[in-house]
Amino acid sequence: MNLAEIIKSDRIKLNMTATSKDEALKELTDLLYESGALSNKESFLEDVDFREKAGITGIGNGIAIPHGKSKFVKDTSVAIGLVKKGIKWDTIDDLPVKLIVLFAVNENDKTGMHVRLLSKMARKMANEEVCQRLVQASSPDEILQIFSGE
Amino acid sequence: MKIVGVAACTSGIAHTYIAKEKLLSAAKELGHEIQVETQGTIGTEDALTEKNIKEADIVIIAADIKISGKERFHGKKIVEVPTHVVIKSPKALINKIQADLGL
Repeated sequence: MNLAEIIKSDRIKLNMTATSKDEALKELTDLLYESGALSNKESFLEDVDFREKAGITGIGNGIAIPHGKSKFVKDTSVAIGLVKKGIKWDTIDDLPVKLIVLFAVNENDKTGMHVRLLSKMARKMANEEVCQRLVQASSPDEILQIFSGE
Repeated sequence: MKIVGVAACTSGIAHTYIAKEKLLSAAKELGHEIQVETQGTIGTEDALTEKNIKEADIVIIAADIKISGKERFHGKKIVEVPTHVVIKSPKALINKIQADLGL
């Protein structure tokens, strides 16, 4: 299993213009839609919002992991965005969020390899040092390297 | 002490696995033995064995949903918390459990 199959440079934006959570989710959803991962971006966003209401997705250390499990996802995938200034988000440590990792999961994709790869990424983000390096990443390649590191 | 845990979250995609890693690294750092089962979208992984459960001093259930197989822990000491508690302060949780158990 190789994370390069799921972490794609056209789904990574390191200079996000969003100034709010809603804008950030929309900006990343646009990335996913433009790269062909979604069949309907408005409906996907509704599914992401639904998950946001179910519990906090800010996991601390400047990182948030919103996710949509949705029938409007064609390709189980991930979009990653960096907001250098940080934005307000519900998080466990009350710090602003800089790196947003948006998981898009096909509702019927229960055992797929891509879902496994997403869970592997999630495990990586349990490590504080990994989180610190991620929020300072300066290229999509670096992000892939950090997630792929042991 | 010996710990067994189960992690599960609403979507079964992300929090489950972060919670598991946090528990593993905190327990290791504090010198405890731990096994954590995940119940996620991709099914159950690292399922706890009967032996794991029998030997455990404590069962930590870090879940935002109802987990399956809870009857396996009948008669054991169980601590149930939402995943975000484990993600935020895993060491504090384990230390508190240890103090409460007097181990």
